This record gives sequence, structure tokens and C-alpha cells, in this order.
Amino acid sequence: MSQDLQPGNIGSYPEDNDLKKFIDNRKRGGLLWRLSFQLATLIAILALLALLYNIFNGAFGYVALQNKVDPNALVLAMEEDQMLSSPKTVSSEDDNELVKRIENNPNAIGFFGYAYYNDNTDKLKLVSVEGQTPSRETAESGEYPLARPLFIYSAADVMQENRAIGAFIDYYLTNVNTVIEDVGYFPISDELLNGATTSWSEAVGDQAEALQSYAANPADVSDHDIRISGSSTVYPLTRQMAIQFRRAGFQGGLDLQQTGTTAGFRAFCEDMTADITNASRPITRAESEACGDKKRTPVEFRVGTDALAIAVSSKNTFLENVTKDELRQIFTTAETWSDVNPAWPNEPIERFIPGADSGTLDFFAETVFNRKLPELTESELVKILEANISTGLMRRYEAEKPLAERSQAELVDLVLERVVEQKVVGSWKFTESLFNRTKIEEEVARIPQGELQWRSWISPKFLITPQSSTPELAGVRTALFGTLWVIAITILVALPIGVGAAIYLEEYAVMVANPILRRVNAIIQTNINNLAGVPSIIYGILGLAIFVRAIEPITSGTLFGISDPTTANGRTIISASFTLALLILPLIIINAQEAIRAVPNSLRQAGMGLGATRWQTIWSHVLPNAIPGILTGNILAMSRAIGETAPLVVIGASTFITVDPTSPFSKFTVLPIQIYQWVSRPQPEFRNIAAAAIIVLLILLLTLNASAVILRNRYSRRLS
Amino acid sequence: MSTTGVPTSNGKYALELQDVHCYYGSFRAVKDVNLKLHDKKITAFIGPSGCGKSTVLRALNRMNDLIPGGRVEGRILLRGKNLYDQDVDPVEVRRRIGMVFQKPNPFPKSIFDNIAWGAKINGFKGNMKELVEQSLRSAALWDEVKDKLDQSGLGLSGGQQQRLCIARAIATQPEIILMDEPCSALDPIATLKIEDLMRELVKNYTIVIVTHNMQQAARASDYTAYYLMDRSDRAGELVEYGETDQLFTNPKDKRTEDYITGRFG
Repeated sequence: MSQDLQPGNIGSYPEDNDLKKFIDNRKRGGLLWRLSFQLATLIAILALLALLYNIFNGAFGYVALQNKVDPNALVLAMEEDQMLSSPKTVSSEDDNELVKRIENNPNAIGFFGYAYYNDNTDKLKLVSVEGQTPSRETAESGEYPLARPLFIYSAADVMQENRAIGAFIDYYLTNVNTVIEDVGYFPISDELLNGATTSWSEAVGDQAEALQSYAANPADVSDHDIRISGSSTVYPLTRQMAIQFRRAGFQGGLDLQQTGTTAGFRAFCEDMTADITNASRPITRAESEACGDKKRTPVEFRVGTDALAIAVSSKNTFLENVTKDELRQIFTTAETWSDVNPAWPNEPIERFIPGADSGTLDFFAETVFNRKLPELTESELVKILEANISTGLMRRYEAEKPLAERSQAELVDLVLERVVEQKVVGSWKFTESLFNRTKIEEEVARIPQGELQWRSWISPKFLITPQSSTPELAGVRTALFGTLWVIAITILVALPIGVGAAIYLEEYAVMVANPILRRVNAIIQTNINNLAGVPSIIYGILGLAIFVRAIEPITSGTLFGISDPTTANGRTIISASFTLALLILPLIIINAQEAIRAVPNSLRQAGMGLGATRWQTIWSHVLPNAIPGILTGNILAMSRAIGETAPLVVIGASTFITVDPTSPFSKFTVLPIQIYQWVSRPQPEFRNIAAAAIIVLLILLLTLNASAVILRNRYSRRLS
Repeated sequence: MSTTGVPTSNGKYALELQDVHCYYGSFRAVKDVNLKLHDKKITAFIGPSGCGKSTVLRALNRMNDLIPGGRVEGRILLRGKNLYDQDVDPVEVRRRIGMVFQKPNPFPKSIFDNIAWGAKINGFKGNMKELVEQSLRSAALWDEVKDKLDQSGLGLSGGQQQRLCIARAIATQPEIILMDEPCSALDPIATLKIEDLMRELVKNYTIVIVTHNMQQAARASDYTAYYLMDRSDRAGELVEYGETDQLFTNPKDKRTEDYITGRFG
């Protein structure tokens, strides 16, 4: 290093080791700053992630649905109704009656418990289903499609109070397998029978031994009566057991009726006119609940297996085997045999089926049709609606949109909403749903008719459904339209005014020579800068005073004679847009000024030097170069306006509105207001749809921003 | 022929400056300039920094008007008509007196549009393509850009950009072209090209050039005006004006001699 350059005795710079240390020190200082900046960035990213997590967490997850009406029961009722109302159909609760009607008619078909066929093998012909003939083997293994369990039901308190009942059931379970095959049903395995016996001893508790001794000697409980109701299928079996019980010495009253499974449960659970009920299907949840209402806990005993027999007359020559699909047609829409299968004769089908109260009919419909609500056709859904909702309501729906024109999915939704009355009774967040599945399932199991469903609260339906007071039916359609209207008009108003003001301030105001005018311009500039920092609620108050009240005739549209019939005041989209336009005007002006200022002066000189006027120069050179910057400012302003809530609350945006805005003079709501209103509701489900609405808002914001960015980039590319 | 009263030139002098004073706000930047610019000749304005030569140049086509507070007193006559008269529109002045700036400033548009825009806004009627080609040929740029007329003018080199700006000025067919240090941002080869171009253009145009480069003034100009700042009031003034050969070989003023011999400046 040259000695000439040394400052000499004025001072000195660090050299050698000192220099190294000095540089290291400075770098260390820089590193500390860098780390703190990194930390700040990290905090910002974490905050963003936490925000997204929160929104996402609310918008997806499990919900517990509760149906007021079991949709399967609805389908079944509809199917049975269709069967019963088919032409040439006769129904009877008395299976012997059915046998009698079929035996001499070659075109007749019917179904009933296997026992009735077994009693009439000479008069009837058994039809195999899907190639399977009912037998002990195929019924037990389930290969025969129409096999089903047989039950008797009673209750613990009934068996304990009425010793005859307790004793009879024990007797029944002990001896059923000795008679069942004679009756015409198939015995169950010892394992199942032992299970039934265990249920019995658990139900009767410490009386088990006493009751067992009574079962061995029924005469001792002759002071009690036994009332049995229910399934006509199980009836012959129970009757046989009752006969034997009496033979064993029982002297008390024995009332044995066949009413059908459903009616039997009604007698047992609701009317309490039966102590035991026969059932050819398990008790439903609804029936169990009905029992619970009367403090009766039903106890189920499996006593055998029935195979439902599809029977024709022995005079029938053509029918040997049917498929489930053919059965479906035979018992509903088909009129002649050849309709179902061209190989069969062109003779009318005559149907003989058990009545509506019969478990056999339920079983047949359930097994053969086996459909869920969403699988039904439009006309079937309409039938369900007609059967279950009032004609007045029907007329209203018809007026809204004719049912015939509605899609199947729309009809399913309508049935779920109006008939099933499906309601969300619990909801869980995304993370809970993922990690706490078992706990949630337990909770749902405790809900009567409860059903667990994965739900994305944000869905296409959510976008196109208007607001509703039921969270699961509510959507953002109204708010979305409101936001789009408000933003469009806001930008249309604010952008030209803002850019115009910026052009004036940057290009013309600076040329003003008059000192008083220069002073005025300076004051305007200062004010604009200050306005950018004014709290938005102040703008709301301004908007209320000016747009909503002072120039109400204009903002409500009455001046132009085009006011919206739903509103007669100034709380309209246009008031909101004007208010938001005022709010973002300073933002747009300041950003546009920056952009215009950034255009190099040399361009202006080049333009003017060629003999262009000032405006020609601005239009051709200054503005095109400033547009990217102006658009950036516009994006910021638009984002601000979309998310703004406070001023709109002040000027009176609607919090509950289900009608789409149709003009700038409509009353309205916007997404932030909707979200604000939803999060303040007490039901937790509103929090879920608020989260979904936030996602909609974010997506809308990102879409608008992205389009502005694309526009900006295209401009920038063109200029470079 | 002109509605705004600016007569077209065909005489000996293109412009006459009479008692011209230039102000920025209350500050007088240039005082008392009297000068007659010869028609179809190159006149160079030289002088040290801050002497007001650029200010005088910009006064010639009223570009000073664009600077807030900029103001000119005195008379600048274009064929007897004062450019600063009330009834004269500065837009027309600039249309007649074109300008090339210190830093090349093509528009961020295609080469074609760079030239066509000036013609278009000035109401040119005729074959635009030919005008562009002619202007580019006059600016000795045609061969270099004829295949990329639709590309951005910003993609050219500095020297090419400056020639594009000259072509752009020529396209509006002015009478006088003002050049404000047109070569200060260019390398020597590009500088020489511009000088050759000026010699070519002066056959049809009156050119006024401001330069810091005395060799350039000596090489390229027919007349030279030397400006210097008066230390007493910090205002620039015209010290000496004459034919270039005479001014460089036999300066009348001691201050001019000091400057051109490098004793000062």
C-alpha cells in the first residue's frame, strides 16, 4: 500500500489483524440483522399458515346427520305402495287365503312363508330364485336370496312381572327345534339358540331358576295370561309352541293373534296390548325408540330361519326360476307374463301378496328392491313427496319450479330437506375428524337415527344457494353476487376518477404558475395523503349521511323510476359502491401518481419535442408506461374494498337476504358481511360455513388479483 | 401560409436572438444573448458546465416552457416572427424546430412507430411506410434496422437509438434541428457516425448543437458560439460568436482563447 495515501497524523485506519477483526465485526452486525429479518419473515409465514389452517380446518370435516324420518323406510313404503297399487294385485294378511287364490290359477303368483308352501306342496309349485331353491342348507348359508331370520320379542320387566311369559319363552327356546321342521321352517344352529337363551337369563336375572322350574311345570303360572301378537310368518311356530305349553299344563289365558310384524311391534311397544310379539325382521330403531318411550326395553330371541317362498299354482307350466330383476317387474310394472320374459305366455299376471302390515311384504320389498333414496327415479321421488308433504307446500314448490322439470338430484335434496328432514346435529373440524375418528363415531352412535358423513362445507351447491337460517342449507350466492356488483361499480367509479386526479396532480398541477392555485394544489395533495389513513368506518358514516340519506332519490333509484321493489331507501349497491369508491380513491390516486412520476421525463420531452400537445404525450406515452403501476395500485385498492366490512355495516348492508341483487338499486349483502354475521351466530355449524365463505372470498380475491396481474404483465411485456 | 403567424424560412438567417434572457423562477440563468443563426449551417454552442448553452438551445423551441418557472424574455425571431409572441403556439414552434436530446430517448414502441407517431400526431397524410424509410435513410439507420422495424426501439445500441431519435425528428420535416449534446452518451465510433450524419443533414436543415467536446465543435460545425457564466451574477452570457475556423484559430476574446487552448474549463 502506498505510503503517499496514508492520512498520516490526521488519523489512521485499522490494518492487518485489526482490519480483519474490524471487517468480521461489521459482518457479525450484519448477520444479526439478517437473522432478525429472517425471523420476521418466518413469523409472517407462520401467521399465514395458521390463518389458512384455521380456515381450512373449519371448512372440511365430519358432520353428524340426524334424520327425522328414516329414508330407507320411506323408500320401502313407496315400493310397497307401488306393489300394492299394481293392477290385478290382491293382498291379504292371511296367508291361507293367498294359497287358496293361487292354487287353481295358472297365471297367479304370490309369496309367503315357506311353511305355507310346505303345507300345500300338492297344490303349489315352488319357483327357484336366481337358481336357488329354498332348503335348510341354502336358507342357513344365505345362498337362497329370500331367507330371513325369525324372532320373538319381549321385555325384561314383562318377563319378570308376568311369570307365565318368562316361563313360556324359556319353554319356547328349549323346545323350538323339536317342532320347527314340522311347522315348515328351518332350525337355527345350537350356537344361535344358546345366544338366545343367554339373552333370556340376562333379562330375567335372579328369577332365572324360578322361571326355569315354572317352564318345567307350566301349571304353576296359570294365574297369568299370555298375549302374543305380530308376524303371521312366525305365527304357526309360536302357535305350535303355545299348544305344547298348554299340553304341558298351562291353564291361563292364551291370546294368540297374527297381525303382521309392524302391527305386532305397535301392539307391543305403543299400545302395550301384547306381551310377546312375533317378528320376521329385526326391530327398527324407530320401533325400539317407541318402546323406549313406554319404558320398555325390547329383548330379541332368534328362534328360526324362514325362507320366503315364491309360489305359483301347480297348474302353472312355464315358471320354474326367476331372477331378482324379474321379480321386481312381476310384482310392480309388468302387466302380462310376456312383458317380463318373451318366453312366457301373453297372459295377465295376477298377484297375491301379503298386506302392508306384514313383515313378509317388508322383507320382500327390502330384499328384492333393495334401493336407497338417491337411487330412486324422479317420478318415485315425486310420489314420496306427494305422500309426505302437504298439498299447500307442494303447490309452493310447484310454483317455484315445476317438479317435473327438476333434476333427480334436486328432488333427492328436496326429499331430504322436507320429508327426511335431515339435520346436522354435530360437526367436527378437519383435524378432529382425522385424528379423533373413534371418539366421533361413539358420539354419533349415541344420536338416534344419527349418521356420520364427511362433508366439505364448500361445494358448488354452497356457491349457488342463497342465505338460509339453517346452516347446512345456506349458501353464499346472494353475498357473492352482492360482492361482484359492489366491486364492479366501485372500480368503475374509483378508477377513472382516481387516475384522472393523479394525471392532473402530476402532469398539470405542477405547471400552474398562479401561487394561490399552487397553494390549493398542495393542500389537495396533502389531504389525499391523509385520507388514505382515515379509518374506514368514518367513510361509512360519510356514506350514510351523503349517499344513503342526502341523495337518497338517486341512490335508491326512485329519481329514475327504476327502484327495486324490495327496497325503498338508499341502502343500495350503488351507495355501497360510492362509499367504497371514496374509501379507495386516495389509494388509487397515490399509486397512480407514483406510477406516473416513475415515467422518465425524457419520454415527455421526446413527445413534446416532436410537436405533440401535452395531452397527446400523456395519452400516448405517459399513461401506457404508467399502466402497470396504476394496475398494481388498483389491485391493492380492490383487495381492500372486497374485504371491507365496517363502512358497509354503517350504510346498512342487509345481514339476511335471500334475493339476488338485480340492479345497482337493489339491497344487498357482501361476503365479509355474510361471514361476520355467520361467525356471530350461536350454532357451531355457522362457523363451518363462515370458514367456507372465507375460502370463497379468498378465491374470489385471488382470481381478481391474478387477472389484474396478468393484464399488468401483458402491458409490461408490450412496453419492453 | 401559417395560421399562427410563424413564417417559414428561406433567407440567410434561420433564427435571430435579440436580447434574450432566460429565467428559472426568479433566477436569471442566461442574460442578454444576441445571435443570428445561419440558414442550412451547423452552429455549435460551446462553453463550460453551467454557462447556459443548453438553456439557450431549449429556449429556441420553447422547451423551457415545460420546466415549472421556466421563462424567456427578449425576442427569438424565426423569419421576423417572435416565437414568444402571445399568438404563437409552442406546439407549432416545436413542430418547426425539432430536437434531439442528450440521452437517446426512443419511445418504448417499435422502430416503425417511433417515427410514425410524430408524423401521425402532426397530421401527416401520405405513405407512412415511405416516410419511415426515408427518415431512416436520412438518419443513416435504414440498412441496420430495415429487417426489424417491428421490434422495440429500446433494443438498439446507444448510437443507433440516437440516430433513431434523429430520424424521428426529421420525419416531421422541421426547418431547424436542435441537438443537446447528442454524443455525450456515445462511444467515439458512434459519435463519428452522428457527426457524418450531421454533415449530411445540414444540406437540408439548419442544425444547432450543444457540445462539451471542442474537437467535435471544431470538426463538425460551421459557426461556433462560446458561452461563459458571469461570476458576478452567475448568469450565462454569450462571449463570442463567429465562424468556427476563425473562432478556434483567432479568437477575439481573451476568455475564448483561454477556453479553447485548455487553460480554463
